[in-house]
Amino acid sequence: MNRKFKILHWLLFLWIVLLLLRHDVLLQYFVLWFGYAKLVFTDISAGFDVLSLKLIDVILSVKLFIVLPLLYFVFRKKWTYLQSKLSFSYALLLLLIWILIFAPIVTNENPEFSKNLSVTKLQPPFSSIKFVNLMGKKSEALKEKERFIQQLNNTIKPPFNEQIIFIDSIVISESIISYQKGQITELQKEELLVKDGKPVIENKFFLLGTDEYGRDNFARLIYGTRISLFVGFGAVIISFFIGIILGFIAGYKGGIFDTALNRFAELFLSFPVIYLIILILALFGSSLFSVIIVLGISGWMTLFKIVRGEVVSLKQKDFFITAELIGLKKSQLLKKEILPVILAPVVVNLLFLFSNVILAEAALSYLGLGTGNLYPSWGAMINSGQEYIYKAWWMIVFPGTALVSTLFAVNSSGKRISKLINPRLEE
Amino acid sequence: MLNEPVVEQYFAFLSNVVKGDLGISYNYRQPVLEVVWEYFSFTFVFSILSIFIQILFSFSIALFVSRRKNNLLNKGISNLSLFVYSIPSFVLGVFLIYLFSVVLNVFPISGLKSLDHDQFSFIGKNLDKFWHLILPLITLSAAGTAMFYKYIKEGMDEVLHQTYILNLTASGLREKDILKKHVIPNAVSPLISVAGIELGVLLGGALITEVIFSLPGMGRLTVDSIFSRDYPLIIGCVLTAGIVMILANFLADIIKIKFDKRLLKGLLN
Repeated sequence: MNRKFKILHWLLFLWIVLLLLRHDVLLQYFVLWFGYAKLVFTDISAGFDVLSLKLIDVILSVKLFIVLPLLYFVFRKKWTYLQSKLSFSYALLLLLIWILIFAPIVTNENPEFSKNLSVTKLQPPFSSIKFVNLMGKKSEALKEKERFIQQLNNTIKPPFNEQIIFIDSIVISESIISYQKGQITELQKEELLVKDGKPVIENKFFLLGTDEYGRDNFARLIYGTRISLFVGFGAVIISFFIGIILGFIAGYKGGIFDTALNRFAELFLSFPVIYLIILILALFGSSLFSVIIVLGISGWMTLFKIVRGEVVSLKQKDFFITAELIGLKKSQLLKKEILPVILAPVVVNLLFLFSNVILAEAALSYLGLGTGNLYPSWGAMINSGQEYIYKAWWMIVFPGTALVSTLFAVNSSGKRISKLINPRLEE
Repeated sequence: MLNEPVVEQYFAFLSNVVKGDLGISYNYRQPVLEVVWEYFSFTFVFSILSIFIQILFSFSIALFVSRRKNNLLNKGISNLSLFVYSIPSFVLGVFLIYLFSVVLNVFPISGLKSLDHDQFSFIGKNLDKFWHLILPLITLSAAGTAMFYKYIKEGMDEVLHQTYILNLTASGLREKDILKKHVIPNAVSPLISVAGIELGVLLGGALITEVIFSLPGMGRLTVDSIFSRDYPLIIGCVLTAGIVMILANFLADIIKIKFDKRLLKGLLN
């Protein structure tokens, strides 16, 4: 038994940390999940009515969180790569993927939640802000569906909450007076949630501070991870298919196809692609999917060159000619004969492409052309942080660090894998 | 003009381009060539300075690391270079602004000229501009320096393992001479082609850096023209970027031939 820190240990560590820190959230999600199951069994159409992406996201992540250890015990024999040694870059990469999958468990705040800007905006990290609860509407004899919706809104925070008011301080005499940065409001005692004759004052904790709209920086950072990695995966998959297929056609057919496709690739390479991306996004508008598609289309050239070069040399090999003579289809040739051989350089290339795409997405968001205001994105966070650079350092430091560590993790994993493939490089 | 077929319009456009007439910018109400020239002169100085810094620093660090045969230092610097390479220019730029302009208040936060720029003497004006360019130059050069370092180091390592280097060492040549006369000329060729591409990209406009520090360069001109749908200017900018890319690569090829005469022979055959 050699004692080394394996990937498995790191995943176990992350699982336990999440379980310990977020057991309350997990419990809430559990209850929500059973509530939803109950609703579906009693009234299936209501089940479809309340279904939203957010709900699916929560249920899937909590399911996966429970199933993951069980899956490990089932597939223990097959998942041998879990036994391999952990390096710093793999650890970072796994942490990012962990956050990508379990984002709703890591933070149960809504990244778009903002209320009472005058009090909540530009708060430093580790600050907590007081709030009072308003009395909800008296609910009597709710139906199953309405009860579930109420439960849903309590568990999955909506972007707006009418029930709470953030305050700086409160004075309780005959009437209740609240102060919000100089603004004095008189609150009605009947409206407030009262306990022992006093209004209930709670604290909301902002781990990484808030931005200029009073939104939680931590939640935005976590969901920004999702957007970055999602754009990265999507664009890389598109580039992968374009590069592999065009490279195979160019290498296999040769002749006019080869020349034309090569010139086409060089056309893309001879020009800073970022301007082309900006032009397309500026002309046709930018949304999450247009960003993914445009970035995917603009990144296939190096992959094309690699695949084409390999196919040209593989075409002469005996095994390939045999496979051809057996009568395999073109797609089978590509899938069964070419891909396994060139997988290693392609994977390395895809990793570097992945980091390029994440960088490009962040740069586009920084320029205001990215996924827009619909989704929190690291680039957009840094852009808005630059406007408040004199007041709020936390708005640029945290997304910046996250972006740098992501890119570093991806790049150095790529370097590591390319060393594994080409041991000659390492002296 | 506009009622003629597109192909004819295209040829008219081509003949105009050859004559140096790219049309009139919608925004600036000036011939496109003049606008581009105004912005290009800044970008030219900026990118030449930047590429100079990149090559100088990467080269000296690589030489320094090769001289000391310290494995730990080698590994540390190569990890550091990967880390620096991973820092996006806008993150680095914003961090530098925060550190040097907001906290320490040493360098100006953006722009190219101080408020009292017009009252300076000629030297003062240039110094003022240079003072404004320090942070942008660091931002622009960091990633490139790391990338160049990687190429130089890899090239040098490959050459250092060749048998003729062993032979030279055994013959008793000084290590300095071996490095200078035999290793560097052989290791430098990938660097030059990469530097050519990098120079071409930089001359096309360092978009992000120019946006962070609000500098008047080609990158911002291109993006502004895209956003304002100033089509003649877009064509002018893209054409300039393409031309400088080709020219920079051509320059790199010529320099490569200077280092390796065999390339010229291959070309002539």
